[in-house]
Amino acid sequence: MNNSKQLKMTVYTSLFVAFIAIGAFISIPIGPVPIVLQNMFVLLAAIILGPVWGLACVAIYLLIGLAGLPVFAGGTSGIGKLFGPTGGYLLGYLPCVFVTAGISKGLGKKMSSDIIAMVIGSLIIYAAGVPWLKVVTAMTYGKALAVGMYPFLIGDVLKIIAAAFIAKTLRPVIKL
Amino acid sequence: MLHLLDVRCKFLMMCLVSMSMLSAQVFACFFYFLVLLFFFKKTGLNIFATLNSIKYFILFLFFIFAARALALKGDSLFSFYGLSVTKQGLNDGFLVAFRFFLVMLTGLLFSSTTKPSSVKSAVQWFLKPVPFVPEKRVAVMISLSLSFMPVILKQAKEVSEAQKARCGDLQKNPIKRIIRLVLPLLKKTFLSADYLVLAMESRCYSDDRTDPEFTPSGKEFFFFAGSVVLSLSLVCL
Repeated sequence: MNNSKQLKMTVYTSLFVAFIAIGAFISIPIGPVPIVLQNMFVLLAAIILGPVWGLACVAIYLLIGLAGLPVFAGGTSGIGKLFGPTGGYLLGYLPCVFVTAGISKGLGKKMSSDIIAMVIGSLIIYAAGVPWLKVVTAMTYGKALAVGMYPFLIGDVLKIIAAAFIAKTLRPVIKL
Repeated sequence: MLHLLDVRCKFLMMCLVSMSMLSAQVFACFFYFLVLLFFFKKTGLNIFATLNSIKYFILFLFFIFAARALALKGDSLFSFYGLSVTKQGLNDGFLVAFRFFLVMLTGLLFSSTTKPSSVKSAVQWFLKPVPFVPEKRVAVMISLSLSFMPVILKQAKEVSEAQKARCGDLQKNPIKRIIRLVLPLLKKTFLSADYLVLAMESRCYSDDRTDPEFTPSGKEFFFFAGSVVLSLSLVCL
């Protein structure tokens, strides 16, 4: 990888870090639960940046939050949030990004493969987040699922479909 | 006082105290709460404004408290609809919620007394001994993404106002609404990122840059020793 390309990826990755951080604040009011775009940006970072830079992107996002800059949802930050009740979702972004990017790359960058990759990625986020929530709040699995997963599923489906369209349109623009 | 402290020292102190909080008991928590209040007073931060900024997190803590109080088994205090609130549950829920609250306040104290740029240089300093991590590039990426954030927020506002002017907010299809907000936003910001890449290249950017400078205030040893004693006593109490 030559220097120019690497610089380009550096800038794009930091752009996606900023998008993930901002994604917690941009919401689209639809129905009772507003759709927050943060996990959509994580998935987009995965399928656009690829496994290595995508992983770097999420790692830097978590690092910034851990170091005390207010980038987590609600303008919060720090170890308290990362190990707090919703920390599982945040840490789940790491394997999610890697697997999603790997699948999307492995199946060829088509829209159908993107959708498959993003569905699996979203499931990974919940697989990390829901047991974490269960342990911290000492709820049963049924309750933890009802609080931490079911209300978001419809929004997730919408976000995945939208993200697939966006990725398809964006790839020729970015030209990686 | 805290503002002038070396950022690396502050960061270590925050980590140490936060870690020890996770195994602290109720009495230790109250003690630490008093210490925190003292520092909030000293740094001139308004505690109520701070609490207001984390009100959703506090709501969440109440939720944890309630969930713990209902879920744990033990001597039942009172019950309704088959749910019983237990003594152990109340104690445990209170302790867990209180710990998270204090760790949160510690983080807030840190981030409100530290400049983002010095956080960046502290991260770079701490990553230096870690192998396979190009700490300088990480530092550049952190400062780039910090400077991108206000730009993105501004453009997101512009895009959504442009959509409103074209009656875009009447669109019922949520997928279309997401796409019409995010796609122009991404395109715009990626184009400006392209210009940034060009600008950086034409100014001969490379990873080989001067290290950031730290200006210790001379009280680091005192504070660090204090936080070690504090976290030890938190664990033991």
